[in-house]
Amino acid sequence: MSDIRHALLRRDPLSAAKEVLYHLDISLGSALQNAPGATPGLDKNTVDLVEEFIFQVPKDRSVQRKRMSCVQELQLLEIMCSYFQEQSKDAIRQVIFSALFGLQGNKADESRMAMLGKLVSMAVAVCRVSILECAATWLQRSHSAWCVRLARVLVDDYCTLVPCSISNLQNICSASPRFCCQLITAVTALYDLSSDELTPPPALLEMVVGWITEDPRLLLLTFINMPLTSSLPIGCLEVTPLMGLLRWCVKAPLAHQRGRKQSLTNGHVETEKVPGCEELYSKLHLSVLQVFLMLQVHLTEQNLLGRLGVLQAESVATLVEELGRSVDELNPLHAANQIQLALDRLAQALQVAMATGALLCTREDLRTLCSRLPHNNLLQLVMSGPVVQPPPHSAPFQPSLYPYIHPARPSPLSPHATHQAALSSPHAAHPALSPLPTHPALSPHCPLPPHTAHSPLTPHAFHPAAMAFPYRPIR
Amino acid sequence: MSAQGDCDFLVKRARELVTEDPWAAKAWLITARTLYPTDFSIQYEMYIIERNAERTSSAGRLLYDIFINFPDQPVVWREITVITAALRNDSQDKHALFLKGVFETLPGQVQCQMLLKATEQCFNTLEKAEMLLLLLKRFPESVVQHGVSLGESLLEAENVEDLDTPVNCFRKLFVCDVLPLIINNMEMRLPASLLHKYMHKAAEFYIGYVTRGPGADTQIQLTGLKSPGMGRGQRYVIDGLSEKSSVVTEPWERLLEIVGVVGARCEWQGEKGSRYVCELLQRVKELCRYLPGLEGETLSRCCSQIVTCSTLVLFRSAHHYISTVQPSLFQGHNALGVTPWVLLEDLSSVFNDVEMDRSSGKHAHKKRKLADGREKPMSSDDEDALGKGRGRHILVNKVEMPGWAETLEHFRTARESWDLLHSHDALESEFNKICMAWKTESWLWFRIFLTDMIIYQGHYRKALSSLVQLSALQPQQNQNSLSATSNLETHRALIQQASCHYALGEHRLIIVKLLYKMLIPCTSKDVLPFCLQLMLACFKLRAFSDSGRDDLALGHVIVLLQHDWPQGEALFLKAVDRICEQGSFQYENFFNYWAWMAYFTYIDMLEEFAYLRTTEGGRVQLELLPNQGMLIKHHTVTRGITKGVKEDFRLAMERQVSRCGENLLNVLHRFCINEKIILIQSLP
Repeated sequence: MSDIRHALLRRDPLSAAKEVLYHLDISLGSALQNAPGATPGLDKNTVDLVEEFIFQVPKDRSVQRKRMSCVQELQLLEIMCSYFQEQSKDAIRQVIFSALFGLQGNKADESRMAMLGKLVSMAVAVCRVSILECAATWLQRSHSAWCVRLARVLVDDYCTLVPCSISNLQNICSASPRFCCQLITAVTALYDLSSDELTPPPALLEMVVGWITEDPRLLLLTFINMPLTSSLPIGCLEVTPLMGLLRWCVKAPLAHQRGRKQSLTNGHVETEKVPGCEELYSKLHLSVLQVFLMLQVHLTEQNLLGRLGVLQAESVATLVEELGRSVDELNPLHAANQIQLALDRLAQALQVAMATGALLCTREDLRTLCSRLPHNNLLQLVMSGPVVQPPPHSAPFQPSLYPYIHPARPSPLSPHATHQAALSSPHAAHPALSPLPTHPALSPHCPLPPHTAHSPLTPHAFHPAAMAFPYRPIR
Repeated sequence: MSAQGDCDFLVKRARELVTEDPWAAKAWLITARTLYPTDFSIQYEMYIIERNAERTSSAGRLLYDIFINFPDQPVVWREITVITAALRNDSQDKHALFLKGVFETLPGQVQCQMLLKATEQCFNTLEKAEMLLLLLKRFPESVVQHGVSLGESLLEAENVEDLDTPVNCFRKLFVCDVLPLIINNMEMRLPASLLHKYMHKAAEFYIGYVTRGPGADTQIQLTGLKSPGMGRGQRYVIDGLSEKSSVVTEPWERLLEIVGVVGARCEWQGEKGSRYVCELLQRVKELCRYLPGLEGETLSRCCSQIVTCSTLVLFRSAHHYISTVQPSLFQGHNALGVTPWVLLEDLSSVFNDVEMDRSSGKHAHKKRKLADGREKPMSSDDEDALGKGRGRHILVNKVEMPGWAETLEHFRTARESWDLLHSHDALESEFNKICMAWKTESWLWFRIFLTDMIIYQGHYRKALSSLVQLSALQPQQNQNSLSATSNLETHRALIQQASCHYALGEHRLIIVKLLYKMLIPCTSKDVLPFCLQLMLACFKLRAFSDSGRDDLALGHVIVLLQHDWPQGEALFLKAVDRICEQGSFQYENFFNYWAWMAYFTYIDMLEEFAYLRTTEGGRVQLELLPNQGMLIKHHTVTRGITKGVKEDFRLAMERQVSRCGENLLNVLHRFCINEKIILIQSLP
């Protein structure tokens, strides 16, 4: 191996990098062929070669090597781009991609990230689907801190540096929806609206809302295609962007209020981002609720309803806490409407998430969780739950016919059939998205649901104790 | 707090938001629905938002939900009524199209249920039927269950409403829409009797439709101009239907199709589903030959096949015949510029010598079709040579009657079918049953055909009674508003009556009829010549009778001979000979000579009379001036008493000569009208 290294050292940096890429392709390709199915491990030497010659991390202080010029680096990126485009085997692409960019926990990771950011940005610009698909997988497996960094690169490149280039990013949604789904998760992790800097730029918001309203199922793509056996690495991104988007929607009214307050104290009014964004957040919020409804269809189909929470109760608790803090920071007199809007959205999301099985949580838990929040009629109603009473009107309740609650065995006449078909159809054609779903490793609630009151068959009666709970909304 | 209170609160919030922030409104409702999945107001509000925004697929999805979950909500019913109404009419406005689109998004089973339920909500039979039809057309499998009951309910509605015409909205729907679905559905097993009943209902409708009068029928309202003779532009609407759905295209073809299908389903003998009428008739004719050997079930099945087919052919051919002969009877024909025709005795021999007439003995019954009585160049159509002995011909002017061969063919086919229907007792009674049911007795057009047929067959007595029936069928008219059509009908009947009387030798009755006709303003210049010929034919025999002299008849003949001069020259000379033989010629007392002379416009004739008075002419005493006194009185005023009769004759002659250019027909018409009493009296 050191022979190879010595040979490479004599070459110019670009051709050496190419040589390493070639070496990787040969060795990993044959390893994959010999043991199909198994992910071939990388030997230490190969990792070293990649780090030294591709990511330009000096291994040997004694040897002062010439670094690649910017042009050479660009050429290398181009070579990588074409390599991934031309490599027809998906498995090999994935293995090479993770060999190159899989984080090793060493000092080379910084270089890796830098190169990855440039490569993905380039892939977006020239629409290299194979790289985007590999990047989507990378975003699923890497720690969220790294994911956020990649997201930041893309946002900087496409939203901040060259704002008019955002259409490039916008268009990849149809080319690689899986990548977009992960990217949304990453940007929601990046922008948590805790400060102005961490408020999503309007262009980004508009793009994300555009993607989602076009096809809300996008948000469930990673979740639905999650392979049976995969266990999520610790610290990775959430499996759906739902929690992040919910945070956006709930906190946005207050963030805007805060933004307005600050700009007023600065003496000039910042008008550019406010008006359109309110509408966008409203649309986004509706989409999130609709995705919960779709999720229910999926969970019921997979017989996971009530057994697998998609929104983690801990995350919800964090959001509630953040919201409480934001409210405290604002003068309730001046921001009463914004606070109520935020609470309305929170209440709606909690209610729909609970009803659809996305959030596994009792009303009792909810009351504890939200006790610190200011009064809101809807939240009060959601916390106390619906009034359980003898069947109203003359209409008999027919749970089995109610589609969103009981979406059912598809019969040719049922509209759910089309629903479900449509849910997977736009992506089903994609070779990378072989659907082998069920998510046993995903949930802490699995396999035994602790919330027996949440029988999926009686979703309208969430809590048997609801009757006993004395509080009702004040109107 | 009640659940209802919660729901009201949630819906109210959504309503407040819907205009400024529709997404928020929907978010509220989605939340509300997860809280109260069984509440109607929430889901209805969701639907209303989508419907008002005209989002087809989501509105359809929500409509599905509320239809399934809240089938008893009146609001849902109102909505479904609106949607199904949009489906029924062919409006192209945006909202109607949207509603149709919403309906289309629903699963078939739900569409089916929705239509059925909507049908249950309809109290109006017609609407109900239209609704069910939507269902049957969309879901052919539902025909088995609902087809016959829908048909029966339409037929029943027709009975209950006691409509006086088969061309009504219920029958239209039944025949044109429901029946084809029923008979073409191979999964239906219907008894032959029912199929026959339905087929007869269809036939009655289609025949009624094609032969509907121009606006005379109360069920068919003219929406166009009210002036008579409005031609092509006229539009009609079957009461209860839209103008568009009142139109029936190619009625005879539709009827033949139905007969074809029913025939095939009833396993008619030799039925190959032919669309050709002649084949249809040919087939049943052959079938007729086996009739005497059949009995029981087979006989009755055979009978109904023969009767159905022959009846159809009969009415179809008769209709085609009448629509050429009397086009103004039917709606949809352009009556303007089309001449009506009338079937009459051939009078081409009228100018022949009396001797020849006598020698020929019985009349060679020749029929001539005349365009309002005008003489036609001959063309014969020897078509019934194998008939009942006497060869009959119908003579027409090929030039003036385009499509004459076709018309005669229709006449022939119709007669053939009639004969077939009366060739066997079983057939006749079956046919009579149909006639009774359809009230064919009251069909004016068919009576006209029957009359023509009887005249053609030479049954003049029967023809006369048929003509009486015919006049009873004509719409009662007051003198002030003689419609063109009915006037024409009266004329036709009178002339045909006269023609029949002639054939029967009842000359006096001819004159009575003809004079009655002449009293009516003689609109048709074509009819008059025939009348004149007919009169000539009557007086001719009398004038030249061997048994004795009849100067009066001779005088009439001489006047009438002017018509078509010089065709009657030979007869005129014969008359002159006769006067010379007699040595005198006396016209009736109170009939004055000058007046008589005034009916001459041919100078040849006048000269001839002038000559007769001279010595060379044989000094024939023309006692044409019996009422001398009156005449003198008359002339006193102008000329004085001293002038002699001879002088008067000369002056009269001169005056008459100066009038020779006058229109002959006008003169002869005046003759008939002025001298009607004497004309009638001069025949015993």
